[in-house]
Amino acid sequence: MTFRTRLLLIFTFAVVVAVGLVGSVVWLTTRRAFERVENQRVGTVVDQFRREFARRREEIARRVERIAGAETALDLAIASGGPEPDYSPYVNEAPALAAAHGLDFLELAAADGSIISSAQWPARFGYKAAWLSAAGEHGAFLQREELPEETALALIAVRVVSAGDRKLYVAGGEKLDPGFLKTLALPGGMRVLLYRNLAPRFSASLLTGDAGPLADAARLEALIEQVRTKHREASGTVRWTPDAVGAEVFHAFPLLGREKNLLGVLLVGSSRRELAELQRLLLWTALLTGAAGILLAVALAGWATARVTRPVEDLARAAREVAAGNWHVHVPVHSRDEVGRLGYAFNRMTRQLSQQRDHLVQTERVAAWRELARRLAHELKNPLFPIQITIENVQRARNLPPDQFDEVFRESTETLLAELANLKRIIARFSDFAKMPRPELQPVNLNEVVSGALKVFQAQFATAGVEPKVELAPNLPLAHADPEQIGRALQNLVLNAVDAMPQGGVLTVRTLTGEGSVRIEVSDTGEGLTPEECDRLFTPYYTTKTHGTGLGLAIVQSVISDHGGRISVESAPGKGATFRIDLNPASPAESA
Amino acid sequence: MLPTVWRLAAVLSLLALTQTAGAAGRPRYGGTLRVEMRATVAALDPTEPGDAGSRLMPLVFDCLVQIDGQGRPRPALAVSWTHDPDHRRWRFRLRPGVRFHDGSVLTAGPAIAAALTAALPGYTVTAAADALAIECPRPTPGLLLELGRLGYIYSRSAEGVPTGTGPFRLAALERGRRAVFTANQEYWGGRPFLDSIEVSMGRSPREQWIDLEVGKADLVELAPADVRRAADRDRAVWSSAPNILLAIVFYDGRPADTRVREALARSIDRAAIHNVLLQRRGEIAGGLLPQWLSGWEFLFPSAPDLPRARQLAAALPPSGRTASLAYDAGDPLARAIAERISLNARDAGLTVHAVPGNARADARLALLPVASLDPAQALPDLAAALGYKNWPRQDRPEDVCGSERTLLEGGRVVPLFHLPEDYGVSPRVRVWQPPAIGRLGGWRLADVWLDGDRQ
Repeated sequence: MTFRTRLLLIFTFAVVVAVGLVGSVVWLTTRRAFERVENQRVGTVVDQFRREFARRREEIARRVERIAGAETALDLAIASGGPEPDYSPYVNEAPALAAAHGLDFLELAAADGSIISSAQWPARFGYKAAWLSAAGEHGAFLQREELPEETALALIAVRVVSAGDRKLYVAGGEKLDPGFLKTLALPGGMRVLLYRNLAPRFSASLLTGDAGPLADAARLEALIEQVRTKHREASGTVRWTPDAVGAEVFHAFPLLGREKNLLGVLLVGSSRRELAELQRLLLWTALLTGAAGILLAVALAGWATARVTRPVEDLARAAREVAAGNWHVHVPVHSRDEVGRLGYAFNRMTRQLSQQRDHLVQTERVAAWRELARRLAHELKNPLFPIQITIENVQRARNLPPDQFDEVFRESTETLLAELANLKRIIARFSDFAKMPRPELQPVNLNEVVSGALKVFQAQFATAGVEPKVELAPNLPLAHADPEQIGRALQNLVLNAVDAMPQGGVLTVRTLTGEGSVRIEVSDTGEGLTPEECDRLFTPYYTTKTHGTGLGLAIVQSVISDHGGRISVESAPGKGATFRIDLNPASPAESA
Repeated sequence: MLPTVWRLAAVLSLLALTQTAGAAGRPRYGGTLRVEMRATVAALDPTEPGDAGSRLMPLVFDCLVQIDGQGRPRPALAVSWTHDPDHRRWRFRLRPGVRFHDGSVLTAGPAIAAALTAALPGYTVTAAADALAIECPRPTPGLLLELGRLGYIYSRSAEGVPTGTGPFRLAALERGRRAVFTANQEYWGGRPFLDSIEVSMGRSPREQWIDLEVGKADLVELAPADVRRAADRDRAVWSSAPNILLAIVFYDGRPADTRVREALARSIDRAAIHNVLLQRRGEIAGGLLPQWLSGWEFLFPSAPDLPRARQLAAALPPSGRTASLAYDAGDPLARAIAERISLNARDAGLTVHAVPGNARADARLALLPVASLDPAQALPDLAAALGYKNWPRQDRPEDVCGSERTLLEGGRVVPLFHLPEDYGVSPRVRVWQPPAIGRLGGWRLADVWLDGDRQ
């Protein structure tokens, strides 16, 4: 992960955390404020509903009062006396009066409770309503009413019409049904449900709203049960859908009958939809604002981090170039701050390094020339000394008899020719090192290269008492190499190994797959090398042998380096040495 | 002086009263009688009378004999008749000079014989000169009653339209809506007082009552509750004998357990319904034939037996204690009675659902007209209406009674009441020779006239 990315992430994290914290605090505070306001509204509306319900009771009582005060009721009260009163003319009075006064229920009953006329169940004439005598003339109360096909709840008021010693009961009211609930004035977002407590246990079919039976009524069971068991108001929240929009707060009121028995539960529901939608809007606004803020902050952070890291990246790039050998790199300095001072220091460092390298190169070049001169002198001195001795022997043998002189001359010329050949060979080796050609890279099977290189040395292995061991990897990938140059480099290593085992030994050549490379290893069982020797082994003209130019391993390293590969040695005194060549594998396209 | 003055005043008052009484009592010709009825009539054909059509039929068609207010046969198109001692062979001499509405003369021809044969299946009718001979398959002393009820005489035009000899001609018939009858100027019994009769059909009881009240109708049907109201408003009420049986008729095989039917029958408090809903109109019925017709109706029990009903219901499985009772959705009285029956059944432990006009119910509240003044014929007719095909006819009274008992024990019908057909009449309507409504509900409007001074 780059420094810029890390810096950007830190900035972003800090901004997100800050925005999130601020947003959460604002949202929670606002939400609580809204909920407080909403609860106050619900409380107000519930109070309003209570007043409306009480008003309806009074209204029912007034209507019944009007019926009781009408002439018809008085006539009926008068007619209800006598030993065998004939009620048949009045059997249809109650339906007509109920319709005229907008009541669902109306029963006219004689003093003994015998129903003279019934609006809700006209067929019930003659039956007795014993409860009437105990009802009293109060406001409307809740009453369970039997109907032909159902048992209903009704708000009933009772009035007594007296005509002398004769009495007529007028019991009228309204049915608590969806129609009644519809007539209740409620603000938007609120509704009223009625549970008729007509069964010993909760039954969903007994719960109705103003549009009829309520779907999924079982969700209100717990609240209704609470009211049923405690006969006290209760409230709770019901979630009709998984999200908050479907939440609804219910206030449940017990509806008690005349004898304080629980006949129903009235539930006033206040939908949380509006609040939830407001909260959702608030949340989305906060999220979008926060997201926009974060994006803006990230953009600014990106710009700022770019400003901070660009000089650092320039420095890093320059450092990489320095590492690659380009010491003349120069980073631009745009500021005078710490980064600017760092860039200035880097430029000064590269400048000094460059100067020091030039100096070092010159020094090394002089040293190289000296070493070359020394080696040349040494190499050339060896053949020159026999040549000089031979020539002096010839000069001294000039006075010898001809046959002896011939003998000396013949031996001397042979020696001279041999030493001249030796000089030529030395010169050719130096010439080869100078004229190292560029490799022609191609996919190469190193197993074949190894096999080809070792064939040359079969006779020499026998002479030197060296036992060759070849371990070739069966599925070796192709290498990206010049087979000719790799072959020569390998021959050089083999020759080197044979030289390292003057008493004979085991020469092991193996191929294997390295870490992202194709590897050749050449091991011997010779004396081995010291760490210092290992360090200097690939230096041109360095050799541990009594003969040779010291260019062999330098040439090998040059060849491997030209291939983009790497050569290393692992050795310890007395434990032989192992040379490893790692080459780049051929690309799949090349391999194909 | 004073006595003379008083005497003179008394004479003048008496004269004035005599003038007024003479104007009110003397029939007047002319005017249109406006009649309203709930039923509808699509066609007026003696071969397809129907309940409503049977009321209108006597306006247009005559029978050989007619039944008077006391149920006695009187000469009509037949001026005289004879029969053999065992009442098998009858001979009727036709009234001479009678013309059909199309002008043709009534003669004892094959067309008349065919019309009677169609009305009396199984009887052999032959025409000879001015007489008709009827040979019955068995001794039939009540043949005259049957002829007075069904034996309409008519001829058919080339288009197949039946033409009668009755006091009124059918001038127009709008199917199911309206019919207009005009006076037959050449009626053998003398021209009717009315110029025409306009019958509006398909009118609800409420609409009929309102039209009577506001003077838009002269003769309307009355529900029992309206009879008392009409009387309170000084309206005349014409009624037939209690000739309609109101009964619970169970559909075939429903409910399967006969104990449900019996429990229901025993739970019904007929007296309460009769006193209140029916305003004491008609008679409580335990039998199928009314007491006035058979004389033995009182033998069949009609009082409720709630303990027995509860016992029967308790013996039923809970799922079998229910039944449904259909009633005519357009009849408020039927609904009230059905709901009262449902309430009575609840007291017995049964759940009876009163449903409006539902053919899938277990039973229905039915109005079954008693169609004949002859109990021997009326019972098979009722049996046929109840779905019993070919119920055997009995002629001896004790056999008819036994047959009725058998019919009741079949459990298909629970008689409730025998109801009359009541009509509210506007004050201007008068009758020269009452009654205008026959015992079985037929209309006799030939003797009705309108008093133009009254509304």
